[in-house]
Amino acid sequence: MRLADHIQLSFSNLWKSKLRTFLTTFGVTIGIGALVSLISFGRGMQKNVTESFKALELFNSITVLPGGFMSERERHDPDERRPTNPPSGQEQTILDEKAEEKIAALKGVDMIFPEIRIPALVKFNGKEEFRLIQVIPAKVAASKLVKFRAGKAYSSDDENSLIISASLLRQFNIRDAQPVPGKTIVISSIAFNFFALNPGDLTAALRGEKLPFALENYELTIAGVAENLAFGGPTPIQSDIFIPPGTARKMKRLPFSSIWDLFRAQEGRLGYSALNVRLSSPRYVEPVKKEISAMGFETFALADQFQDIQRGFLVLDMILLAVGMIAIVVASLGIINTMVMSILERYNEIGIMKAVGASDGDIKTIFFFESSAIGLLGGFFGLALGGVTSGVINRIVNYFLAKQGVPFINYFSFPFWVCAGAVVFSVAVSLVSGIYPAWRAARVDPVEALRHD
Amino acid sequence: MENIRGRSRPIKVDKLTKIYASGKIRVTALKEVSLEFEEGLFAAVTGASGSGKSTLLNLLGGLDTPTSGTIEVKGRKISEMGKYELALYRRYGAGMIFQSFNLISSRTALENVELPLVFSGVPKKERRERAEEMLNKVGLSTRLTHRPFELSGGEQQRVAIARALVNRPQVLLADEPTGNLDSRTSREIVELLAGLNRSQGLTVIMVSHEEALAAEFAQKTIRLRDGRVLAEEMAG
Repeated sequence: MRLADHIQLSFSNLWKSKLRTFLTTFGVTIGIGALVSLISFGRGMQKNVTESFKALELFNSITVLPGGFMSERERHDPDERRPTNPPSGQEQTILDEKAEEKIAALKGVDMIFPEIRIPALVKFNGKEEFRLIQVIPAKVAASKLVKFRAGKAYSSDDENSLIISASLLRQFNIRDAQPVPGKTIVISSIAFNFFALNPGDLTAALRGEKLPFALENYELTIAGVAENLAFGGPTPIQSDIFIPPGTARKMKRLPFSSIWDLFRAQEGRLGYSALNVRLSSPRYVEPVKKEISAMGFETFALADQFQDIQRGFLVLDMILLAVGMIAIVVASLGIINTMVMSILERYNEIGIMKAVGASDGDIKTIFFFESSAIGLLGGFFGLALGGVTSGVINRIVNYFLAKQGVPFINYFSFPFWVCAGAVVFSVAVSLVSGIYPAWRAARVDPVEALRHD
Repeated sequence: MENIRGRSRPIKVDKLTKIYASGKIRVTALKEVSLEFEEGLFAAVTGASGSGKSTLLNLLGGLDTPTSGTIEVKGRKISEMGKYELALYRRYGAGMIFQSFNLISSRTALENVELPLVFSGVPKKERRERAEEMLNKVGLSTRLTHRPFELSGGEQQRVAIARALVNRPQVLLADEPTGNLDSRTSREIVELLAGLNRSQGLTVIMVSHEEALAAEFAQKTIRLRDGRVLAEEMAG
């Protein structure tokens, strides 16, 4: 039998039972549509995160943490607590300017800046918001790590200006970022005020009342409005307000921003809570990490974390695939049912075909072609359904997230292999579903079938 | 198919037995039947219902396999053929027609006649030409695009004959071809078969319960009773 005849015969046979073919194909369409949507969602998430990592150059970032007592990692995982003694030959492991200079001198280090966050009240447009202000040098603010919706980065480390995020602006009821650069904003930092301490009433201070703190107000100009990060991940540049280091130094503020700073201060090892290191290439990650570890500091590279994230995505893909497969199994049962019904209806026809010379193989092939035709149609329509459904969901999600200031993102990704794979998979599932009906049709006894009316 | 289509030899049936078993019940449809059909013969197999006529024809047509005994067609033992070889034999070696015509109702006369050629892998254009030619031969040149339900019983049987002969077999096996037809149409159909036998040297083996009609046209009549050959008679 010729291929063209097989194709023509299978479609004409399916056309004879239009409603049943439509319903069965619709079942496959839903199954493939669900599978395509779910896989493209998993792919979309992975693509967005990977692209964000690449765009923010997170693969060539290292975070350096103080060594010894309660490093950053140990705070989260007590089982990983290491001995508090620094490596032999090291006097102390304070993450200070000296350490910053030493690390900056390492081969491959492109940029280094300390992790400084200042708790402050931000007053703008008649409203107040509490935020941790991040101190980042002008060079970092001007790099592609910060994307601007309006304005630009401050030009020097001493400029009396700041960068505000679009999402914080929304908190101040400002949706249009364009006119904001150039406006003045008030930052109130918290500083010690020993004059406020009444030595005669120390018991009140112990009760947490009348503490020797005061708010210090600073007027700064908004230089730029930063874009929100939809998939920022654990990026070192993550705050609603950024100020340059020179300006930060001029501010009166507490020398600590967390309880961990207090613990280190108690030991006389305050220093920075962390140093953010940018490398000129991801290939320097391992050697630089090694050298920094030798200095007695803890290191944390996002490149290492990314492998865990990828493993997480693999698990997510598997879960989504398993959910999608339920629909496919149901569709597959629909195909089997349709094909078995078709055998019963065409029992006499199968006998006639055998009587005029069709072999068992010919009969099997006819049924395989019919089931794969259902799969092919279901695959194409399913792909279209998956595309339309994903598009609709994407628009709905983006509509709601846009209200929270999150920029438009494609949560679904349709790489070519997903599209081609969906159709091939649909045909493959249909072929597998057609095995039993085809085998049963081939086993029809022609003598009995010819008597059947 | 060289030896099926090649030099013709008679059809030989030797000690053919067919037993149908259903659970513990065993029914002997044919018991040690031995027959011989010369090439170009118009033979009629007659007998009462249940005598084994249709069983014999199904075995000769390769639709069924014997319990024991041999069937030799043109030098090849079809009783020893596997499933695929039997399919090829049905495709090229023997054409069959039936009492209930067995046409595919959703297909036109032309498409029904084309069907054996589809399984032979004949290109569409050639298929159409050969099917048209066959339908012309059986007198249905004006009924090509009609579906079976638009044709009379006689016309349907003619379509079935055209389909049985389109792959140019050496033998035509007719199982009660007049069973569903009135007497006038029955005669026309048997005359058509006899004409094809005469003009093309086609071997025709016809099973019929109409002994008078069979005796009028058949050169050889075989009477079966209870699965055994009761009599073999040559005409004239």
